[in-house]
Amino acid sequence: MHEASIVESLLDLVVQSAPGGSRVRRVEVRVGLLTGVSPESMQFYFELLREGTPCAEADLAVCLEPLRAHCNGCGADHSLGEALWICPACGAGALSFSNGDELHLSGMEVEHGEGIHAGAADTEAQQ
Amino acid sequence: MAKVFTLEQRILKRNSELADENRRRFDSNGVYVVSLASSPGSGKTSLLEKSLAILRQELSVGVVEGDIQTDRDARRIEALGVPVVQVVTNGTCHLDAQMVHGALAHLDMASLELLFIENVGNLVCPASYDLGEHLRVVVASTTEGEDKPLKYPAMFRRSRAMVLNKIDLLPYVPYNLEEARTLALRVNPSLEIFETSCTTGAGIAVFCEWIVGKLGETSAA
Repeated sequence: MHEASIVESLLDLVVQSAPGGSRVRRVEVRVGLLTGVSPESMQFYFELLREGTPCAEADLAVCLEPLRAHCNGCGADHSLGEALWICPACGAGALSFSNGDELHLSGMEVEHGEGIHAGAADTEAQQ
Repeated sequence: MAKVFTLEQRILKRNSELADENRRRFDSNGVYVVSLASSPGSGKTSLLEKSLAILRQELSVGVVEGDIQTDRDARRIEALGVPVVQVVTNGTCHLDAQMVHGALAHLDMASLELLFIENVGNLVCPASYDLGEHLRVVVASTTEGEDKPLKYPAMFRRSRAMVLNKIDLLPYVPYNLEEARTLALRVNPSLEIFETSCTTGAGIAVFCEWIVGKLGETSAA
């Protein structure tokens, strides 16, 4: 249920980043498969909490990125649609992941925007 | 005309900034901070009570208690004579860096060497929120399933240690200790594992020794 808090932070971030007076049409987020954050729950809270904000008519697009996993046993590389902890190839090796912890605002579509807030284009390293 | 912007911003950026601010405050005061997370009823507060009895003999310790409702946990800690601040979240399922920041105003940080933050009983939501702590400990217990790490991997991956509590109940519950260790290490191979009983006191001293050994580590960890 912390998706409510996450969506609140998302809306704050979108409002900060969107040009003044603009209407947001679409918000894109990238959610890693190791975060434990539910896209369905994010959608639910987005529809609830967007009222009265510049996102009132916006859609939320949640992109779940495949997990890039490497087997420490057999050395196989995998692209996984869900978190696994044992290598699906050799059935024994532990996996290490090179992504999966993302919880990012990755893009948005706005109307009547002059330019984006300067700070918004910062690219930040994944935690 | 619609404009499309490509961004790459952490949604919880504000929380991370506040967590960094907390961390700087901890470091400048020389306070080492350990947070505890678990599902409700695993024994976080009992583990704290037992650990504080040992740790406060050598160290100046404080506690921040997080609960959705009531100050019952804070009163348990207060009864030990340990400085404690209760954060009541009023429904919010996790502590965040802002709440911890607010709690620090009620503690004499300069006098502390070690601070525990007990999070709301929840294995899901607290995993997403950095509080600025140096070390996160997850507590599990023998009355739960051995598969907690597989079901709540984010929390176990982000913790440095797992305390397996209530081991005095092992003769009475169908809990497989080896299986629990195996599954936890599968999710987080570098997890330190401690076995404790807050009823008999088993394992508490070992856990405390480990915490004491961590003091002085910087927030770069």
